[in-house]
Amino acid sequence: MVSTLAMSPQSQGLRLGPPQVYAGLILLLALSMLMSLTLGYKIYSLDQVWMALFAHDGSEAAVVIAGLRLPRALIAPLAGAALGMAGVMVQTLSRNRIASPDTLGLNAGASLAVVVASIMLGVQSLAGLSLAAAFGAFVTAIVVFGVAASAGGLSPLKIVLVGVTFASLSHAFVEVLLTSNEAQLQQLLFWLSGAFVDRPIALFYNGLPVVIVGGIIGIGLSRALDALQADDSTAAGLGVPLAAVRGLAFVAVALLTGAAVSMAGPVAFVGLVVPHAARRLVGLRHIHQLPAAALFGAVYATLADVAARFVIYPVEAPVGAITAVVGAIVLLVLLMRRAA
Amino acid sequence: MADLVPSRIEVRDLTLMYGHDTVLDALNLPIPRGKVTVLAGPNGCGKSTLLRAIRRLHTGQKGQILLDNVDIASLGAKDLARQIGLLAQNPSAPPDMTVEELVRLGRYPHQAMLQPWSERDGAAVNRAMDGTGVTGLKTRRIGSLSGGQLQRAWIAMVLAQETDVICLDEPVNHLDMAHQLDCLDLVSKLNQEDGRTIVLVLHDLNLAARYADQLVFVHEGRVRALGQPEELMKPELLAEVFEVDAAIMTDPVHGRPICIPRGRARAAVQEVA
Repeated sequence: MVSTLAMSPQSQGLRLGPPQVYAGLILLLALSMLMSLTLGYKIYSLDQVWMALFAHDGSEAAVVIAGLRLPRALIAPLAGAALGMAGVMVQTLSRNRIASPDTLGLNAGASLAVVVASIMLGVQSLAGLSLAAAFGAFVTAIVVFGVAASAGGLSPLKIVLVGVTFASLSHAFVEVLLTSNEAQLQQLLFWLSGAFVDRPIALFYNGLPVVIVGGIIGIGLSRALDALQADDSTAAGLGVPLAAVRGLAFVAVALLTGAAVSMAGPVAFVGLVVPHAARRLVGLRHIHQLPAAALFGAVYATLADVAARFVIYPVEAPVGAITAVVGAIVLLVLLMRRAA
Repeated sequence: MADLVPSRIEVRDLTLMYGHDTVLDALNLPIPRGKVTVLAGPNGCGKSTLLRAIRRLHTGQKGQILLDNVDIASLGAKDLARQIGLLAQNPSAPPDMTVEELVRLGRYPHQAMLQPWSERDGAAVNRAMDGTGVTGLKTRRIGSLSGGQLQRAWIAMVLAQETDVICLDEPVNHLDMAHQLDCLDLVSKLNQEDGRTIVLVLHDLNLAARYADQLVFVHEGRVRALGQPEELMKPELLAEVFEVDAAIMTDPVHGRPICIPRGRARAAVQEVA
């Protein structure tokens, strides 16, 4: 028995170690950020980018690069990293590979908060709307977690069911509010599909510490999250305090999603797609899964943002539409594979 | 209970309710050190609940469970997990997890939050995989394993935990006959070579009688009888606990008692009619 087992063929070929994966992703990230600075309605040279960033001469090119391109070249990767890490944790918490922050209703809650703030409270500034979005995501996280917890047990299935219910409810309210306030429809529609364009760089500085805190909580929980991939009895048998770990991980997810939404609006499906890539690259241990998801998410969101500038050139498409199309395709492939 | 050797685990007056149903009813049970104790009983008798209670997976119970005379309620989660390991009934993990990743989970209670992976952790994982014969499978995804291989990988996970007491909840469910024996031989080896205390829940009475040092019949939330298999495998007791009318013989190979059920016990049949 033992000897026949030992001779069984290995199912995998060569796998790159995490350090090589990180190095590769960091290189890709640098390249895609450079693309984000140079490519767009107008294409700038590397010289112009260098000048704009380090020797601002007041030229039109420098103004566009430093004032418009730079914020999105920073905000897109940060939001992507946040959603990637949030996605990893949501999928582990729910033991569901097609779950994401969207599934938990966090994006929908953020959208609702923005629409309410805009229509009912008259908030007009982007900073105000961003704050409302982060607030909405955070409150939704607490409500979903609280309802699931009080419904007994905090089972993965319950968290997802409560999240999906809240997402539908929030969407319904958003639609009612929007259709009864057509005047603001145009203005909010772009925000509601998520975008990195025209964001002040202050949003990046506000979001950065929140994302760092969320990421640190995730890394700190990484071993407990590894064990939570197994069933509850096994995890509890290993000494994992289930409720405490789930609660803390939920806080991390709320921080990460709230930060991402405050910067870019509800960018769909990033949190769904990125964890799959991360697991392929570095395996299932969260100490590697989370950093890989952060890096891959950053690259993915940045490239999606660059693509958004060209799909309906010269008009800019909302980046949420791009990630939604890619995400939908990935979701279908995943579902079909599972069915096969 | 008048043993001179103190029990490894002592269950005292354990009462456990699910809502209004009493699952365990003031149950008492000594679990001797370094022996294989098998819990057997009909469906719903509370044997799995008892095993889970010993691993402190239930709350709201009355009574005590003593581990070396210390109430387990007073132990920290990781502390307890370093002393009692559990292979849950039908455990699950993502199918794309590798065998090595699964076995590494067993090191959780030995690690502080951000403490790096130590040589000791690595050695424990390698020993666990060697002992269960899954070293050659360590890069395989668990979704690609056969039932027998998968169960070995899970046992390796529990072994990596390096606990002196190991609880296994129906570990041979869904395994064919050869792999059932394979799995139980492995468990028996852990007991004989390393002197570990094993607590098993088994459905198959003949397997229970074959592997148990101490056999325990759980019936309606209480321990109905405990002792060596020869003492417990009696027609009257089987009729009462399992509601079967059985003939008892001695297995000519191992010298252990085996039962051959003729049918349901008459008393039970009348009850149903």
